[in-house]
This record gives sequence, structure tokens and C-alpha cells, in this order.
Amino acid sequence: MKFFKTRKLLIIILLQAIYLPALLAYGSSDFMRETGKINVVVGVILLIFLGIIVYLVRLERKLTKLEHQLKDEKNEWTN
Amino acid sequence: MWWKTLSVILIVYALLAGLLVPLKPGITYVQPATGKTGQDLTVQMHGYNSFYSRSPAAEVRVWLEFDSTHALAGQNLRILNDTTLEANFSLPRTLPEGRAFVMLNAFIDHPADGISLLPAAVEIRQDSSTSGSGEDARWSQNLVKELHVKSDFTFPYRNVIYESIRNTYFHVPMWFGLMFLFIASAWQSILFLRNVNTPDGPGRSKLDYDRKAAAYAEIGLLFGIMGLITGMLWAKYAWGAAWSNDIKQLMTAVALLIYLAYFILRRSFDEPEKGARLAAVYNIFAFATLIPLLYVVPRLFASLHPGATGNPAFGSQDLDNTMRMVFYPSIIGWSLLGFWIAQLRIRYQRLMDRATGLD
Repeated sequence: MKFFKTRKLLIIILLQAIYLPALLAYGSSDFMRETGKINVVVGVILLIFLGIIVYLVRLERKLTKLEHQLKDEKNEWTN
Repeated sequence: MWWKTLSVILIVYALLAGLLVPLKPGITYVQPATGKTGQDLTVQMHGYNSFYSRSPAAEVRVWLEFDSTHALAGQNLRILNDTTLEANFSLPRTLPEGRAFVMLNAFIDHPADGISLLPAAVEIRQDSSTSGSGEDARWSQNLVKELHVKSDFTFPYRNVIYESIRNTYFHVPMWFGLMFLFIASAWQSILFLRNVNTPDGPGRSKLDYDRKAAAYAEIGLLFGIMGLITGMLWAKYAWGAAWSNDIKQLMTAVALLIYLAYFILRRSFDEPEKGARLAAVYNIFAFATLIPLLYVVPRLFASLHPGATGNPAFGSQDLDNTMRMVFYPSIIGWSLLGFWIAQLRIRYQRLMDRATGLD
């Protein structure tokens, strides 16, 4: 995935995870406390989802690098 | 693989049940919150997730309760809407046990909704003009009894946290997942050290133990970081601050830093087997410090977390049977997902080591 190759995008995603509560609170001061604080639960689920996705994207980038490496040594690596 | 399917099913179940099952009705606040002895008090109770108008007012009963033998029943109850009801209380001349003030629990018994309770809802002070000797008989005339106990599938209502009680199915399983992954990691390190002198056979390498130990620790650390961040978000809206130097917050942060050092140690040797050997020893020590840091020290000090100061992590107050039916599947689901991701990491590292000629 070339889309994720830029390290900047990853950093933006990570920053969003950290500033998520602030982002969600923007515009309405009590967004997280409305309707029985259900948005705290939404935020928690989103943070876990983002954490797993960021880890998987990083793993995929490592795999891509390995694939390229193996392609270069294709003559030695026959399977 | 069956356990990967199981993990997906359990996480989907935890997400659906954890978000869709309603809370029990509760009382958010009571007005007025103070009173004096001898007063005739009109008390308004504000419900959460309640449906007061589903039953006629004559069948709904309210109390201001001091303990099991002292309670005042509300008279002339009016249901204003689904979340508001009003009742008159004629406060007795004296307080129970001759106290100067008492905190009374608001108690509602509703045929359709069941029981709702707000602890320490109203404060009653002894007024000097009504003081007398002996206890007022009104305290024991209408005790809390003949309740409509509902047994439907609902989560308990707790003040301050409200719906965020559902975080129990997402924040807490991170820590259980971390524990299982760190146990697996320590076990692989032990296996590595036990086999450190056995020669590698065909398709069998002792470096595989090291790879597994590192991958399990890595995903455990990922779960720990997610647990810490989600905990901070929850804390911001339940305790008022994202980081309040709570003993459990501090100790988990220390534990995560100890595990962070494991990766630095493991990568700081040119010779992979030497690094693996030292990292394995360190990993076992790290696990040995993890147990007191997460489970012993936080119980010795006051903590904002439930179950601190000596109790088991979850008492019957924090987790009822309905929550258990979502909580335990969620723990299994998230932990299996952690092992799934760790397996991908192990398979990657196996290929990488083979490609670079390390193994």
C-alpha cells in the first residue's frame, strides 16, 4: 500500500489518537458528558481500533520491505 | 484456525452486547438535597433511563432510607414524566440514634422499572426547635419492603460513570490480554534458556523461542499502551483528570517501561544468540516485577480504581452477573486477537531471520 508509505500519515493518525478527546470535544463543550457519557465508550473503542490498525500497518510496511529484499535475491530464494 | 474465528465472534459479541444492552434505571439527583427535622419536604427525584409513567402513581413507592430499620415513605406521589417524580415527606422531629445530621438514600420501587437507588441523596440536619428525647416513631413505620426485583438483561447503573460502565468490556480486557501475552512471553523465555545448550535440529531452532518471547511481549506492550490510553480517556470523564497519579496508573506505567527496556536490551547485541540469552533472563525478571507492580502494590495504597485497598479487583458491587456474561467472553476474544497478531509478528520475524541468514 503506497498510501501508507509516508511516515507523516502514520504520525497524523497517532496524533489523532492522542488528541481524540480534544477533537471530539471541539464545538460542543460537553460532547463527552452528554447522553450518559456514552461517547467515552465510543472513544475507547476507537482508540483500541486505531492502536491495532497502526500496529498492523507498521507490520505490513516491514513485510513489504522484506518482500522487496527477497525479490532482489530471487535466484537464491527459490521455493 | 478455529480460535481466530472464535476471537472474531467473541469481539463482535462483546461490541454488540456491550453497546446495545441498556442500563438499569437509576436516580441522577434529588431536589432538594438538604432538609431540617420537623419540615414538610416536597422531594423531586430525577431518574436516568427510567419509565415512571408506565405504572400508575399509586403503585410506585419512594423512600428516604437511613438503614434497614430506619426509613421514611413518601406520601402523595406524583409522576411528572418518565424521568421525574415528586413526593411529600414529613420529616420526623428527631434523627435516628440521636445524630446531629444524617445522609439518607433515595429509594424508588417501581412495578415496571424495578428498584433504583441513590446513596446519600438527601442530608437532614437536626433543628434545635424540634429536638426532643427519644426516637421519632415515624422512622420505623414504613420500612423499605415488598420490592419489585427485576431480573432482565441490563447492566448496573452507577452514578458519575453512567454509560461508561461499558468500558469494562474494552479497557479491562486490554490488561487481561497483556497478562496472558506476558505469561506466554516469559514461558518462551524459560523454554529458550532450558534449550540453550541443545543443538538445533532440522527445522527446529532455539532462536524460535526468542522470537516468540519477543513477539508476545511486543503485543503485550501494545495492549498495555492501549489500556493506558483508554484508561486515561475514561479517567478524564470519570475521575476528572486524565492522569491523577493514581497508584495503579503509576505502577502500570513503570511496568510498561520495564518491558520497553527488554526490547532495547534485546537489540543492543551484534550476536543474536547472546542478545537472546540476556533478553530471556531479563524477561523473566521483568515478569517477576510485573506481578507485584500490577496486582500487589496497587492494593496496598488508596486508589481511584475499583477494588483497591485490599479487595479483589472486582467486587460484587462492580460486576454483576449480566456484566460477567459480556466481560468474560470479551476478555477471551481480545486476548485471542492479541495472540493472532503476535503470530503474524512471529511468522514475519521467522522469514526475516531466514532471509538475512541469521537462522
